[in-house]
Amino acid sequence: MNIAFWIISAVTVLGALLAVTLRNLVHCVLALILFFIGIAAHYFLLRADFLGAVQILIYVGAVAVLILFAIMLTHNVTGTEGPREVLGVKWWSGSAIAAVLAILLKKAIQGDALSAILPAGAKAHSSAAEIGKALVAGWVVPLEAIAILLTAALIGAVVIALEEIRKSR
Amino acid sequence: MEKIYQLLHALLPSVPVWTVWIAAFLIPIGFIFGVYLTIFAFTTLVERKALGRIQNRYGPNRVGPFGILQPMADGLKILLKEDIVPRAADKFSHFLAPVLIVVPGLLVYLVVPVAPGMVAVDLKIGVLFALAVGTVSVIALFMAGWASRNKFSLLGAMRAVAQVVSYEVPTVMAGVAVIMAAGTLSTLTIVERQGGGILNISNLFVIGGLAESARCPFDLPEAESELIGGYHTEYSGFKFALFQMGEYLAGMAMAGVTVTLFLGGYMGPGSGPGLVGGLISMFWFFGKLTGMIALNIWIRGTWPRLRVDQLMGFAWKVLLPLALVNIVAVGLWHFLTPRPVAWVVTTGWLAIWVVVLTKCNAGAALEKREYRYI
Amino acid sequence: MSIPLGHYLILAAILFAVGLAGALTRKNAIIVLMGIEVMFNSAILNLVAFWHYKHFAVPTAQLFAIFAIAIAAAESAIGLALVIAVYRHYQSVDVDKMKELKG
Repeated sequence: MNIAFWIISAVTVLGALLAVTLRNLVHCVLALILFFIGIAAHYFLLRADFLGAVQILIYVGAVAVLILFAIMLTHNVTGTEGPREVLGVKWWSGSAIAAVLAILLKKAIQGDALSAILPAGAKAHSSAAEIGKALVAGWVVPLEAIAILLTAALIGAVVIALEEIRKSR
Repeated sequence: MEKIYQLLHALLPSVPVWTVWIAAFLIPIGFIFGVYLTIFAFTTLVERKALGRIQNRYGPNRVGPFGILQPMADGLKILLKEDIVPRAADKFSHFLAPVLIVVPGLLVYLVVPVAPGMVAVDLKIGVLFALAVGTVSVIALFMAGWASRNKFSLLGAMRAVAQVVSYEVPTVMAGVAVIMAAGTLSTLTIVERQGGGILNISNLFVIGGLAESARCPFDLPEAESELIGGYHTEYSGFKFALFQMGEYLAGMAMAGVTVTLFLGGYMGPGSGPGLVGGLISMFWFFGKLTGMIALNIWIRGTWPRLRVDQLMGFAWKVLLPLALVNIVAVGLWHFLTPRPVAWVVTTGWLAIWVVVLTKCNAGAALEKREYRYI
Repeated sequence: MSIPLGHYLILAAILFAVGLAGALTRKNAIIVLMGIEVMFNSAILNLVAFWHYKHFAVPTAQLFAIFAIAIAAAESAIGLALVIAVYRHYQSVDVDKMKELKG
């Protein structure tokens, strides 16, 4: 099953790279969707089934649509798009920062003895039932806080985006 | 899939493991493709004939006796049509959108059980998978409208996306009520536990499922007289056929999930494990599926279409409160111990809320419409 | 499956770096937000990888991940609403043009 990890990782990294590199905005979003599905596949590999389904439901089903709507409402798909002029100062500095971060993280990871493999006695799957029980038994307060946060985000987003229409009437 | 793998491995112990694996993959997938695509083909025919009869005319009856060969004729015609892509269209998205509409429709069949133990993949999160995959088709609708570089396609796509996304919420909540009552997310277990009394919430799911697959009376995105053709205006030939196939498959998938969650799946007198019991179960399942599809066709033939603001108002102001009320009702039903008391309390609760919501929404029919770019 | 934990962490680090490069390099505000989403997802993948290898018996980290996904979705919604509001004012989503605080 190791081959599955490598294939899915390759797809995920490809999706992320294309998402930040392509010129056409809608193609970027499609690559981002590929990235989200790759991450969901990783969650399934890591036996977090419920989380994988939630990832697809929320990210591909909602966040990607949100980004597509934002693209559509800002009318700026092709033309003067694309990364800043290659060999320009800003492109080099941005990519250099990211590369330095990646190298530092890799050194930090390999410095620690973190090559743990899954302990043999683990049960087969983590089930959604225990997540549900934990949510309403021990973690009710964060659940309610998330509900309030989402309501506030909903109202806030509508207010921000609608304000201009109200003013112009 | 696991069971088929074990069965094959027991039958043919000398065959290498990976061959048995591949066979265990291909058999359920072949079953899904063969059975459901054939049902799709004949649904198109039955729908046209049934709609014709409702409208006091014959449906197609030229090709073959009673028009039975009409789907083949349609398929052949559409394969031979020229595939026109607008010059300014975004070629990659234009090509990908029909594919992305068909795939989620097919993926849902993986978790629909056909007979005891016979589900293509027995996921422990089966219902969540079906609902999550259904949301992927939204992207395809948007891509179809955007890639055509046509303002009317874009408007049609926006309306379609708004409709599908809005109706996802009451549909998922109606599913949540069933999950609460059954205590599990696995479709196989839900079918096995259907003892009764879950029919009261099927209405919500049916309506939500109809709207989500954009069938009448919610078929504004694809109605011929509105906005030219909606999001599939600029598609011709086989891509258009794929759009139709995606829409029908989504409708049938919703019917299949409704049968699984609300109507007892493959249960019926005579169903049980074993060869004969399995065949009887399949007969019951496909019979119920056909009944749901027939209900869809009947609704399409008899009810008028909803206007887009009526549609959105219906989802957010009527269906969503009803779905929430329903979850409370199922909770009450589950925990009140004497059964008659539970039935009375639940029915009373639902009746109160139906009356309240009807009164609140009574003014909607006469509201002056504000024109926005919905 | 015998993939050591380190591989998952390196994968998450690479994805984080890609997201960061996208957020720093691109001119379009929406792609910056997409880079931020990539960073979010790589961090949550990191979390879930640790959960799988260290604390598989307890579901707490999955709850953490669900809350993080919900917060990320809310944040992206607000971010995109802000981008739309700014677009209405500047008529462009170029981050180079949004230099002044005063409208």
